[in-house]
Amino acid sequence: MGGQACVFYGAAEFSRDTDLAILASSENFARLNKTLTDLDAQVIAVPPFEARYLRKGHAVHFRCQHAEARGMRIDVMTKMRGVDSFPKLWTRRTTVSVQDSTIELMSLPDLVQAKKTQRDKDWPMVRRLVEVNYFANRENPTREQIRFWFLELRTPELLMELVLERGGLSPQLFRKRPLLRIAQAKNESLLADALLEEEKRERAADRQYWTPLKKELEMLRHARVSQLKR
Amino acid sequence: MIQPEELVGEEWAAWYRLSPAERWTQSEHLWQIYFRLGGSLETEPDTQSPFFDPREPSARTANGRPGMRVLRRSRV
Repeated sequence: MGGQACVFYGAAEFSRDTDLAILASSENFARLNKTLTDLDAQVIAVPPFEARYLRKGHAVHFRCQHAEARGMRIDVMTKMRGVDSFPKLWTRRTTVSVQDSTIELMSLPDLVQAKKTQRDKDWPMVRRLVEVNYFANRENPTREQIRFWFLELRTPELLMELVLERGGLSPQLFRKRPLLRIAQAKNESLLADALLEEEKRERAADRQYWTPLKKELEMLRHARVSQLKR
Repeated sequence: MIQPEELVGEEWAAWYRLSPAERWTQSEHLWQIYFRLGGSLETEPDTQSPFFDPREPSARTANGRPGMRVLRRSRV
């Protein structure tokens, strides 16, 4: 019973694909192309692997056929809604060393922005990402961490604790996130409602952002089907 | 101060308390178990994703890899 059963029936999963955010430069595309060739990765679905689609905000999807990575999905993108440009992401990245490899991860604040999508499954993730960081660092936080929590915590109880412990909020913070006033007033149920509204606005903005891109994807699918029929 | 257990329960709180390196190791361990049980690399259909295409064929086998077979199930 529980988690494994949810995985079995398809309601829960753990990540099995790799998302790569890259700088949209011709040099980089050449490097990526070589790596994808090494992995025997083929484009699945639309759009095709062309810089113009990536620059518009599309992601290109690959599946690897190489024996050591058979079936592995790779999604490549160069821009994401609400997320800074690649050079800024790169300066803020987290670098981890795993055995003999180095892996570059998006910073936590950038990942939180990237996860603010229209999908249900991303929102509990956003909440947990900030919670973990808060619990791990609240005893001795940096100024940047405190600001990050004020702007991104999605747990009413913790937001109220934060305001109580680290009061003296700047007017700029209140402007950026008006619901902090409700946290300051210690109205937990109103705060929960305001957080939900905040989420709804982000999800609507994500749907709006994707509307023209989805239309383009649909046109590409039709074109591909017509081409296959010929 | 609010403790993680009060918000997310024992299991999640234990996960929160691990260091990033420990979580990475645990995740690798879960991967091994997942593969031993016959888990597939094919992602689940994500109907809320802007990329979702119901017509897209899936490379997924009915029950993951051959290591897993359904021997009995309800009618639902």
